[in-house]
Amino acid sequence: MSLLKPFSKLPGLNSANILLVESEEQFQQSLADALVEETTFTVNVRLAKSLPLPVENEESRPRIDLVVFIINLTSELSLQSAEASLKCLDPGYFLGKVCFMVTNARSAAAPVERLDVARKLAASLHCPLLFAEDQTPDGVTNATERLLTILKVAAGLVPMATALYLSNLTRSTVPPDIEQPSFN
Amino acid sequence: MDDSTKLFLQRFMRRIPSYMLRTTLEKWGRLTAAQQKSIDFTQSKWALTEALLTICEENKLAMKHLIELEMIYIMDNPNQGMWYVLQLLDPEDDAHSVELMQFKEQFKSHLKELVRHVSIKIKNHTDQAVWIRIAWGDAFSRPNHLKPTFGVHYLQTPYVFVTNLTSKQKPLLSQAVVLSTRYQAIKDANLSGRKLTAIRDLLMRKYQQVFPTKYPSPLAENNQTISNPHIVKEQAEPAANRLHMACKAFGGGALPQLQSAVYKLKTKFRDDPNKTMTEREEPFRCVVKFESTNLLESLRHCASSGIASTPVTPLLSCIPLKGRNYFVITDNDSGPSSQTHQPQN
Repeated sequence: MSLLKPFSKLPGLNSANILLVESEEQFQQSLADALVEETTFTVNVRLAKSLPLPVENEESRPRIDLVVFIINLTSELSLQSAEASLKCLDPGYFLGKVCFMVTNARSAAAPVERLDVARKLAASLHCPLLFAEDQTPDGVTNATERLLTILKVAAGLVPMATALYLSNLTRSTVPPDIEQPSFN
Repeated sequence: MDDSTKLFLQRFMRRIPSYMLRTTLEKWGRLTAAQQKSIDFTQSKWALTEALLTICEENKLAMKHLIELEMIYIMDNPNQGMWYVLQLLDPEDDAHSVELMQFKEQFKSHLKELVRHVSIKIKNHTDQAVWIRIAWGDAFSRPNHLKPTFGVHYLQTPYVFVTNLTSKQKPLLSQAVVLSTRYQAIKDANLSGRKLTAIRDLLMRKYQQVFPTKYPSPLAENNQTISNPHIVKEQAEPAANRLHMACKAFGGGALPQLQSAVYKLKTKFRDDPNKTMTEREEPFRCVVKFESTNLLESLRHCASSGIASTPVTPLLSCIPLKGRNYFVITDNDSGPSSQTHQPQN
């Protein structure tokens, strides 16, 4: 199993590379289309269903600055696939170069426990957890903006800021009472 | 015009949507041009029914004419109710030479020998289909035109599509069909659906099929690789492979719309950690039903998106392959019989 490493390649000039991992391959397409619209710097998007990535693309693949796991909360498979894919990432990525994006969190079909699992997962890995709306164009735009903000820092395009520094501020935390049943 | 004819017309008017009435009446051709013009189609259904009733009285139209009207409507809108398929077996030597007039006469005479009170109407549709409308009566009552059975048979094919057929009438219809089409046996084809055209297309393979090939399609429009150079799919090859596998199993393009597939399992329960269930001698009976507005499309998407594993299990791929959507799975035959599936839409 080949680990994806954050610093095995040289960065490109004025460009940022983002890897979107989603087992359903629905939302990542619209996100990718919106992400490449960015004009101030070049955004390269790589799409994957799960990790590890195929070895034959190793040569052509640029240095990945940010890995985004998209989890659809209405599907158990989506969460499991993301959990399994995490094992194929180099620990160096978890210093601010990974984030989780959760969709359908408001859907009635999504059990509350699954959201808790996702929050704990993100908290245990010190990663930010973003919530996104994938059905409307507005939701896609919002999600894109938030990803671009993180991506800029992770790619080193923001002076005086590093991914590790940002992730200390944005990482997900689990509220202490998450284990307790709520009485309201 | 007697009461039953009036009742029939009233029921028919209740069923037909107002916007279709004009074209249906035109096709029927029993009304003069002046009468056609005199009907105001913006009126309420009740007023329209009254107007039609008086016109029918004027023209001295009887039940047999009104049956034609109903048939025209059903032939244009066959997607009502459940359609079932009967399959004819063992053709005799002259089965391929049966033509419409011969079939018509034979069917009528055979069915009338079996049931005394029955009203049969056979019409030829534009697409080579023979439409049969049967109103059944029993020994003491006249044919009930309010609940007719419809059958569709394509000459020179071994399939008969029926709707609204009760189990009591099924052997009668089967026998008449078998004798008049020069076959020797008939059986249930285990296929049903709400759309007549869809199940016909499925059985007669009138949908785009994909054949196994080692190479990608040479047609440029089939390879949708033209996209933004900054977006790269890492796993494009497995995805294309999955899509090809899925299309191979279910067909490419638009698929016939099936509404459901039912698997009746009569297999032993197999789950190693669960000793009490696994050791039971008798089979574990359960029914697995897949439901969707377009089942084949859903299954193809499941396979192409990787939710279901590829190559597609024979249990699912044999829906289009065998043209069935009702399966009984027992332990005796080897191979795929022991798998169980969770329903997914």
